Amino acid sequence: MFTIVENIGNAGLHFSRSFWNTLSFATQILSHLLDHRAYNSAVRMVLTNQLYFTAVQILPLFFTVAVLLGIAFIAIVGEYLRSIGLFTFFGNFLMGFVVTEVAPFITVLLIALRSSSAINAEIAVMKVNKELNTLAVFRIDVINYLFLPRIISGMVSVVLLSCLFSLVVLASGLIYSGIFFNMSVNDYVTVLMDSASFFDLFAMLCKCAILGFFMAMIPIRYGMRATNELTSIPVAVLNGMVKVFLAIVIIEVLSLILTSLIAKLL
Amino acid sequence: MIHHCPSLGLVSRKAPLLSNLSVLENIALINQYHHGFSRQKAEETAREYLRRLDLESLAGKRNPQLLEEQRFGVLVLRAAMIEDSLLVLDRPFQMMPALGDSGFIYNVIASVTDRFRECHILDYSLNAGRYAGRIET
Repeated sequence: MFTIVENIGNAGLHFSRSFWNTLSFATQILSHLLDHRAYNSAVRMVLTNQLYFTAVQILPLFFTVAVLLGIAFIAIVGEYLRSIGLFTFFGNFLMGFVVTEVAPFITVLLIALRSSSAINAEIAVMKVNKELNTLAVFRIDVINYLFLPRIISGMVSVVLLSCLFSLVVLASGLIYSGIFFNMSVNDYVTVLMDSASFFDLFAMLCKCAILGFFMAMIPIRYGMRATNELTSIPVAVLNGMVKVFLAIVIIEVLSLILTSLIAKLL
Repeated sequence: MIHHCPSLGLVSRKAPLLSNLSVLENIALINQYHHGFSRQKAEETAREYLRRLDLESLAGKRNPQLLEEQRFGVLVLRAAMIEDSLLVLDRPFQMMPALGDSGFIYNVIASVTDRFRECHILDYSLNAGRYAGRIET
């Protein structure tokens, strides 16, 4: 009995310690993020490269997924709404579900699959190769030079690519509703505008920025946990990626609860 | 030592080149980060110093593509980018075990004498013979 209680207590302590450490690391990063002195020419160069790796190189894959998923979503839900006589809610479905929920989720999943794993492995390899030691020797702030560009690029990429995903889905919706439901462009735009809420769109952009922040910060934190041995790299990447997916789910749930509470209060 | 000596330019196996940057970018990084140079200006300066060691052709290469002597030269150039530096070479023969004597090391140092105020070579006494009368204990 005591062992069970002890194990639960240990797991609880471990979880709360890890959660607290993640938050304090996030605070440290935020303080650097707001310091204008951090952005010198070297940091700007890394930021440009990271934006290219995260937001530009992924475009062909991202665009294909957005088109395919967009058409599938609209075909399935549009047909279903029509069959139960609720096609008037088509706009609400597009703006309230696809744009504000599905777009950030799919975007962050795709970017996490590609960039979070790369960031995690890169930092772990740098740690094993003692390259972080090089930065310390030459008094190059590891947060400013290595972490900030990756985190900013994560935030910007998730926000921009979510918007792109939404636009592609809405364009797919326009084509699909024109062909199968004989809806004119004017009617389609009116339906969307009637269903759009400034608060929902603002909440979606904030959620994207938060998802992008943690999607890049957690792999960095776990990459830094690698030891001097090569075998610690896969362990660091594995742990980091599991935590990234946990964080995505937690942020999604918290944002849903928070937006519903705010919507009720408003 | 690092915290007490901001002008330390360390050449050591324990401070390797950054593997995700080219040789040119590794050398230029110091001027970009510490002296506010633009990328173009920092790379021009780095190229000029590479030319002094006849290593300009390595500008676009990365750490794993370099030979031991080439890597050593690049490490010295990077350390020399620290203005008025205290250049410290930590066990150079450990980086170039096949090197017979210290002639090559001194030639590399001679090419950047305008960049440092002092230069120290730290090595094991068992390597004393390879420094051929130039040592101080």
